[in-house]
Amino acid sequence: MTASGTPRRAAAPLARRRFLAGMTAGAATLAVEGCARGDSTSSQPGTTSISNDNATWDEGYRSAGQALKKITGYALRPLSNPSVTSYQQVVQMTLQTSKATDLVKWASGYQLKRLARAGGLTDLSHVWQTYAAKGWVRDATRETVSYHGKVYGIPLYESYYVLFYSKPVFRKLGLTVPTTWAELLHCAEVLKRNKITPFLASQVGGWPAIEWFQELVTKVDPRFYQKLVAGQASYLDAPARKAMDIWHDFMRKGWMTSPDYDQNRGPGAVKAGSVGMFLHGTWQSQGMSAVGMKPDVDYGAFILPTVDSSTPKSVITESGVFAVPAEASSHSAAMANVGSWLAPPVQRVWSDFLQDSSANPTVRSGNPVVARLQQDIAREHRIPLIRYWEASPPSLIQGNTDDLGGFMAGQTSPATTLRRMQERAQDEWAAWRRDEA
Amino acid sequence: MSTFSTERQTPTTSDGLPAAPSGGAQRPPVPHTWRKRRERLTAGAFMTPAVLLVAAFLLAPFVWTIYRSFFSDSRTTPFSWFDNYSLFASDPALARSIQNTLMWVVGTVVLPFVLGLAIAILSNTTRWSRLARLCVVLPYALSGSAVAVVWNFMLTTDGAVNQVLTNLHLDSLAQGWLLTWPGNTIVMILANAWQATGVAVILFLVGLQSIPPETVEAGALDGAGSWQQFRHIVLPQLRPVSIIVIGMSLVNGLKSFDLIWVLTQGGPGRATETLAVSMYNETFLELRPGAGAAIAVVLTVIVLAASWLYLRRQLDVKGE
Repeated sequence: MTASGTPRRAAAPLARRRFLAGMTAGAATLAVEGCARGDSTSSQPGTTSISNDNATWDEGYRSAGQALKKITGYALRPLSNPSVTSYQQVVQMTLQTSKATDLVKWASGYQLKRLARAGGLTDLSHVWQTYAAKGWVRDATRETVSYHGKVYGIPLYESYYVLFYSKPVFRKLGLTVPTTWAELLHCAEVLKRNKITPFLASQVGGWPAIEWFQELVTKVDPRFYQKLVAGQASYLDAPARKAMDIWHDFMRKGWMTSPDYDQNRGPGAVKAGSVGMFLHGTWQSQGMSAVGMKPDVDYGAFILPTVDSSTPKSVITESGVFAVPAEASSHSAAMANVGSWLAPPVQRVWSDFLQDSSANPTVRSGNPVVARLQQDIAREHRIPLIRYWEASPPSLIQGNTDDLGGFMAGQTSPATTLRRMQERAQDEWAAWRRDEA
Repeated sequence: MSTFSTERQTPTTSDGLPAAPSGGAQRPPVPHTWRKRRERLTAGAFMTPAVLLVAAFLLAPFVWTIYRSFFSDSRTTPFSWFDNYSLFASDPALARSIQNTLMWVVGTVVLPFVLGLAIAILSNTTRWSRLARLCVVLPYALSGSAVAVVWNFMLTTDGAVNQVLTNLHLDSLAQGWLLTWPGNTIVMILANAWQATGVAVILFLVGLQSIPPETVEAGALDGAGSWQQFRHIVLPQLRPVSIIVIGMSLVNGLKSFDLIWVLTQGGPGRATETLAVSMYNETFLELRPGAGAAIAVVLTVIVLAASWLYLRRQLDVKGE
């Protein structure tokens, strides 16, 4: 009995019911809130949402979005998912729904072709034509953003694969930027003699395993690389074998970091002088600045020389794209923004944020190192080559990247690695062509 | 079950004795069949949410996965019979994956069992037992990913282990621990054992503390030595706990994923994949959902079969 004389146990069923009702209501509220998360992609006045897999770029999108808003009336609202694998799954699934974002950041080449093939993307050919008439896009890159002749992506950025190096370290050792293969080998020997690992090479995270492969094959024979990634040449051909032998030789000489070296440590290692040259996309300029290195003062960058002086010069180019889902919540706003993305005032802000090259060739990079690379590419008429990651069907690239990782870890010889890559190429190209038919 | 039902239907007093038959002046008797039906309906109502959730989130996806595994991964996904399952015979990466899975099963069963039992016995009687127990059990509280990050710091070529070896002038022993097979799989199994031993210690300690001391004392009076007491008195009484430890380790070994994914992502060159990692790799990275579904089905069948065979045998013996 309680003090008021009410039997204590009589209240229990009611309390239990209240408790259960409370629990049910709580669970229902949580469920509703969970479902409400889908609102993040719904239309919001004055903005267009962007799916993005690199959260460190959010600030750049917002800044460029302010510049866009002055032209189109719509800012950019980045929605980031930093896990690349889950990002790809989410984008591919939401494209088929009404929950698609207004703009999607995606890779170019076969990654984009695969997405376009599944349907759900807007044809941007007329936007491309407008840009081309103004000279704001490179005609050579049209194929990398097209599928069956129609354009499905507008270039988001353009990066080049280069070797970053520390200017103070090179100066201290009396080294200059190598312009020939012999000079490159000399640099590596001097660095090694001074207990500095000449080159950073890594397979941590999977994809970095392609970097030295694509770089060496293109510097042996860029035309062969174009045929190779198009499925018109064999991985067992002489240029591929020569590239792999060079790579193998570099590893045996101890010129490369161990394959489990994390690339994120690259800028710090270059600054500290423990690594001599860091092969990466020019978008790594941001990382170099993050460790306190000033462009052209503390670090520089150059494109790997060709193995033979008579070989045509080339540069590996990486270009992400903006795609517009057909079911975008604010489709007209997305089209307006994608139609002004390459406008110089917007690209000025974006390029300065990335400290990288703009996809608009009329916009000079604010980073003096990248600006000089742009000049070099134009002056030398370097052949622009699509990065290996986007250059062939995704299943083929993924499998070959695994094989290259195994080669870097010493599991397979150059010959075995190439044989496996060629076997996969035959299967995957046959599958791709069968699907296309 | 019948005993339980009988007990439930027999009214008892607060001290557990059978109650006196109630008089006819109380509430009228409810028809037996109606009461039974109401009980069934109530039980069904309570079970329905759980059954629906299991059906929606476990059984339906599983059935769909089996269905998907019979279709090709090409664009039109035609029916392909057992083509996806034939990859186990033709793909060297999957053959290596099976090898690794077997190594993981052996490693995750043997190491936590042996180490857990040894540490539990040693720490059950020593003065520093609480501190020792805490040190061993603590890693169990960490997530698999956090454990992997710690071990990554130690095992990379320029990591802590190689630095210690170099400082001790044992440079010849320094190596890329995560780079070459089977060493990389073995060190990951050891890292897993470092974490998983904690729960085995807890379970064995519970088992040890439930052993009546009289049984050990009786053995001692009969002249049994320490080893004989352990072998013939303690170990048999730990059998129920051992069954649980081995059963859990067996399933954990078969579905190992997080540690491998964070440490090596199954690489280099797919050398450290287990079936669980291969399933993820094929489905989400190689973009072959049919092959991934076939691996998922095979893995599920192996886990269920191993668990069922092991537990059926062990629990039958226990229940004799």
